[in-house]
Amino acid sequence: MTTESDPHLGEAVAARIERRWATLSIAIVGVLVGMAIFIGIDHATMPQGHVETADPKTLHLAGEFIESNLGSAMEADGSVTVRAIGQQYSFTPQCIVVPSGTPVTLRATSADVVHGLLIEGTNINTMLVPGYVSELPVQFKAPGEHAMPCQEFCGIGHQGMWGKVKVVDKATFLGMMASQRRLSCVD
Amino acid sequence: MSEQKLFSFRNPWFGASVGVSGAIAVLAALAGLIWLPMVQPDLKISGIWDAICSAAGVPRTVPRSGGAQQPDFKTSNVVMTSQMLTHPDQVSIGRGATLAQRCAICHGPQGVSDANSPNLAGQYAAVTYKELNDFKAGARVNAVMSPFAANMGNRDMLDLAAYYSFLPRVPSSHLNDNAPAPQIVITGAPMRNIAPCGACHGDIDIKAGSPWLGGQSAVYIKAQLKAFASGGRRNDISQQMRNIARQMTAEEIDAVALYYEAQP
Repeated sequence: MTTESDPHLGEAVAARIERRWATLSIAIVGVLVGMAIFIGIDHATMPQGHVETADPKTLHLAGEFIESNLGSAMEADGSVTVRAIGQQYSFTPQCIVVPSGTPVTLRATSADVVHGLLIEGTNINTMLVPGYVSELPVQFKAPGEHAMPCQEFCGIGHQGMWGKVKVVDKATFLGMMASQRRLSCVD
Repeated sequence: MSEQKLFSFRNPWFGASVGVSGAIAVLAALAGLIWLPMVQPDLKISGIWDAICSAAGVPRTVPRSGGAQQPDFKTSNVVMTSQMLTHPDQVSIGRGATLAQRCAICHGPQGVSDANSPNLAGQYAAVTYKELNDFKAGARVNAVMSPFAANMGNRDMLDLAAYYSFLPRVPSSHLNDNAPAPQIVITGAPMRNIAPCGACHGDIDIKAGSPWLGGQSAVYIKAQLKAFASGGRRNDISQQMRNIARQMTAEEIDAVALYYEAQP
């Protein structure tokens, strides 16, 4: 017994299913691309927009990461730039002091291996890769103290590597800054 | 259907899928390489080409207002790497042996002495070389050492470092293999930002530029830790040792000094 069926009907069904699956996959790709664009614009993630290099072996000789230039610096536009380095097994400066409610540019790099810089209680989290400068635009809402552990295994003394971030109100910060060009809260 | 060529633009399915994929790729590239860099407020993009280069990761230097704050003290100018001076040649060692005669009065004829000056026998060449350099440059100051180093050339410092690293380590007169290792040597004090001493000084791992401490005089170790803590000594690159010493208690300093003195 033979079944009478239209061969064109089968073909049309296949084509329809095929088209729906293709549309669905395109839609998924579109959503993913759109998501990446949205979080890039909304700053939900803060991808660094440019690459800057720094030779990890000679950070201490010249340039912006020499010892006396590390810490917080006041900029002409009223913002604050914080420079720090990570090295086995400490951050320099060991204690960073920043004003609250002020735009802060955090610039850091590593003097040896890959380290991580994470400020507890905030969404500040970046890797410090030797050879590259990590830069983050940040703003601290309220005065307080935060731990800043190294979040990337950097060797056998990794667990001992962390720093402190002290957020003070702006007036206090300006008072502390008055007598110094670079500020840290290392005792 | 079967006789139709699959990979041909005459096949509408092929044309449509390649077209759509291409369009997504082009749109994503435009968004990622041009649109996203352009809307970053902190990224001062000067044009489309600049945006593309920036997003693609071409390194660039951002002009900074104001120069770097220069130090009001001398810092070490030695470039330290872990491969540094690990293959000394025989001529260098021989020259160093001759030069070392004037060091013997404090550091001992065999690089070991009981004068509470550092024992140099078997010390890593990079360490001896760095300290000599720092004395010469004024980054480290010592009434006895500074005048000696002032007259040394780079070759002299390399040769001396090679010679002392060639000498065998001699156990100090305080050797005690059974001395229990203090906590701070083995595990550090993570709550106070102190990594284990052994993570850099050779018991567990070695960090370039960290001296071998076994058999060093306890008086010397203690004095150096106190100098690091007070900021009296600042030739450690980027504060790597000051950061540690500042956090150590007086008891810990005593304990590590005695422990390392008793080590081979």
